[in-house]
Amino acid sequence: MKRVRIISLRDDRKALLEHLQDSALIQIKRGDKSEKGFSKVNMTSQTQVFERNVSLTEQALKILDDNVKEKKGLLSSFAGRREVDPDEIGEIAKNASDVMSVCRRIVDLNKICTDNASEAIRIKTSLAQLEAWQGLDIPINTSDTKSTAVFIGTLPEEYDEKKLSERLAEENPKLEFEFEIQHTEHNMTCLVLFAPISQKTMAEDALRAIGFARPMAQTTHTPKVKAERLNKRLAELSVESEKAIEEIKSFAEKREEIKVTQDYFRIRADKYNVINELDHTRHVFVINGYIPEEDCDKLTALCDRVAACYIEFEDAGDDAPVKLKNNRFAKPAQSILTMYAAPSHADIDPTPLLAFFFYFFFGMMFSDAGYGLLMVIAIGIVLKVFKPDEKMRNNLKLFQYCGVSTLFWGLVFGSIFGDAPATLYNHFSGSSITMKELLPWPTIDPQKDALMLMIISIAFGLVHILVGMGCKFYICLKEKDYKAAFFDTGFWMLMLTGFAVLAVGMATTQLVFYIGVGIALFSAVGLVLTQGRNKKGFGKVIGGLASLYDVTSYISDLLSYSRLLALGLTTGVMAQVFNMLATMFGTSIFGSVILVIIMLIGHAINIGLNALGSYVHTMRLQYVEMFSKFYEGGGKEFEPFSLNSKYIKIQEEKIK
Amino acid sequence: MNGMFFALVGASIATALAGFGSAKGVGGAAQASMGVLSEDSSKFGKMLVLTLLPGTQGLYGFIVGFLILVNCGVLGGAAPTMGQGLAFLGAALAIGIGGMVSGFAQGKAAVSGIAMSAKDDKNFSKAMVSVTLVEIYALLSFIVSLLVVISVPALNI
Repeated sequence: MKRVRIISLRDDRKALLEHLQDSALIQIKRGDKSEKGFSKVNMTSQTQVFERNVSLTEQALKILDDNVKEKKGLLSSFAGRREVDPDEIGEIAKNASDVMSVCRRIVDLNKICTDNASEAIRIKTSLAQLEAWQGLDIPINTSDTKSTAVFIGTLPEEYDEKKLSERLAEENPKLEFEFEIQHTEHNMTCLVLFAPISQKTMAEDALRAIGFARPMAQTTHTPKVKAERLNKRLAELSVESEKAIEEIKSFAEKREEIKVTQDYFRIRADKYNVINELDHTRHVFVINGYIPEEDCDKLTALCDRVAACYIEFEDAGDDAPVKLKNNRFAKPAQSILTMYAAPSHADIDPTPLLAFFFYFFFGMMFSDAGYGLLMVIAIGIVLKVFKPDEKMRNNLKLFQYCGVSTLFWGLVFGSIFGDAPATLYNHFSGSSITMKELLPWPTIDPQKDALMLMIISIAFGLVHILVGMGCKFYICLKEKDYKAAFFDTGFWMLMLTGFAVLAVGMATTQLVFYIGVGIALFSAVGLVLTQGRNKKGFGKVIGGLASLYDVTSYISDLLSYSRLLALGLTTGVMAQVFNMLATMFGTSIFGSVILVIIMLIGHAINIGLNALGSYVHTMRLQYVEMFSKFYEGGGKEFEPFSLNSKYIKIQEEKIK
Repeated sequence: MNGMFFALVGASIATALAGFGSAKGVGGAAQASMGVLSEDSSKFGKMLVLTLLPGTQGLYGFIVGFLILVNCGVLGGAAPTMGQGLAFLGAALAIGIGGMVSGFAQGKAAVSGIAMSAKDDKNFSKAMVSVTLVEIYALLSFIVSLLVVISVPALNI
């Protein structure tokens, strides 16, 4: 990684930044303070405009999606961004204002729909209130005449005519009144009451005493007319909404254009955000950034072509970001590494080792030739058909390589969709053959040879751990910390090797056994003598002895690898169970149909469950057992200034 | 009363207890993850991984149960003697109890892991690794059960 500083004329800023963004060569260094003599320019208002446009298009797309479902295949989420010609960008820019007005129209139309919907709800509530007054032939807000006071309203109890006149008489025996009950229901009576104007206050008091209230819906029309009007309005609203929705739907074919425009604004917003970070003087501006060493020449060539500028490179410090470089085999595993942590400058890039062991262990856990083959083929097809973006492509590739390893281990364990070939053969021919007999090559049956397989698993674990410690050894040597290399790591590696030799000796000859014991004892003595070296006096001895206690952590690490056996067995047995269930329904046509159904569903479940389990546990073995031996992490990933778009990307070969 | 009875009890115990632990663990984790998903449904993949982690115990228990059935004359093999039946039962207890308790514990860890990765996606791998730490104990129980079950038919007891 190099630090780069590009000084160029402000007139060339647009062209230079655009080309840098397209080529994604450098990461722009963001600093708060300007250097002396420079100042920042404020582009916030422009950025805000672009960002507003982006969110407007997002809204418009969402509204379109709500109204017209976009036709998507089941696997389309794998599909990569569409490639566009650089010339097309100009075209997009020209159309942008049209597209934005379409978006605005869509959002407005949607607003009409939601407004109408809420008005319709209000109208429906009013209608429900008017329902009780349908028989009334005067308006609800009819006011008093010269001689008569009019009261229209509701009482919070159910009355019939007799009960109500009694109740009113009880309140005020002097009150003269005439009333008409419009509607009664539980806890409510709607009534119209007339009283002489001279007794208006008396009537009011009496009515208030029994809980009289005027209705909400005050209108100058009779309830019937009002209800008709409201209904008419309701119909109008629904027609209007329908029209609006129709219009929204008619914009469905603009969807692609909107997406492209959204990306256009997103890209521009990014660019202006970067301009905010740059130091300017009146005529020139400065870009500070990081660039991978191998891209320096490309950058120089590009800058010379598009702008008048001065470039200087210098060695980057320790806080520079890290770009991982790996070959095709290891690259897919980079995401596993960065999920843990990007390597710091003290680390080596362990991706190739990680990749190898990841594929290897995943295969051993998933261990089924049928599933492995399915993974390889299915991913191959997806890669071919959908041409996913790089990140997705790498993830898919990761599983494709895992699939190859799964295929291999499946063949070793004699497992092809579990014991499907043998089960099916036995089912239809009535014989009883096992997979071991069926397959022409020697296989290990995890169910029968579990103990042996466990030993093999732990042996692989030992190799894995030793490789991890080997990395630590190498890092220490590189930093010329020979004490740490030989005493802290070397002796432990020797000790573990000693135990391994010892174990082999137990199974074979005495001589090997004694050699193993010798190595282990030698390294133990070495550890006791050296591990207390940073302590004083008596602590030297205690520290040395105490360090031997670490052997428990190595043992638990090693035992952890028995999961290779456990998960391998799980896949095999589950598959076997489904195969057994499938063949329970006889050899008739009906039975065969059920057989196919159970097999399809069962193996799909098994793939889902166990692929997940294998993925998680393989990752754990890398992170906990291997990385803990040497990997520090804590670096920053190289994140180039690039087209951070969702739907389109520029055709690479066309970037000039 | 013969060996078969104990073997079948063993198969049930292995499957049921370990399944009980997993069911409780996955159930708790699923509740927590649905809380997260109601806020941000794009985290479904990660939540699914964390939710399913306490599910392995149930699988281990089921496998031990199944292997007992395969070896005790129900789905193959010869009928066990009294001693062999008791041996099957004993083997089942390891994964039954170990699986159950570690299922509970892993469920709790998974709930915390879900809360942690809900706050920041970057915590996901750490949460996942921490949750799998619990699993080693279920794994050890499983290995013991497994080794006993497959060696019982050869035992002369």
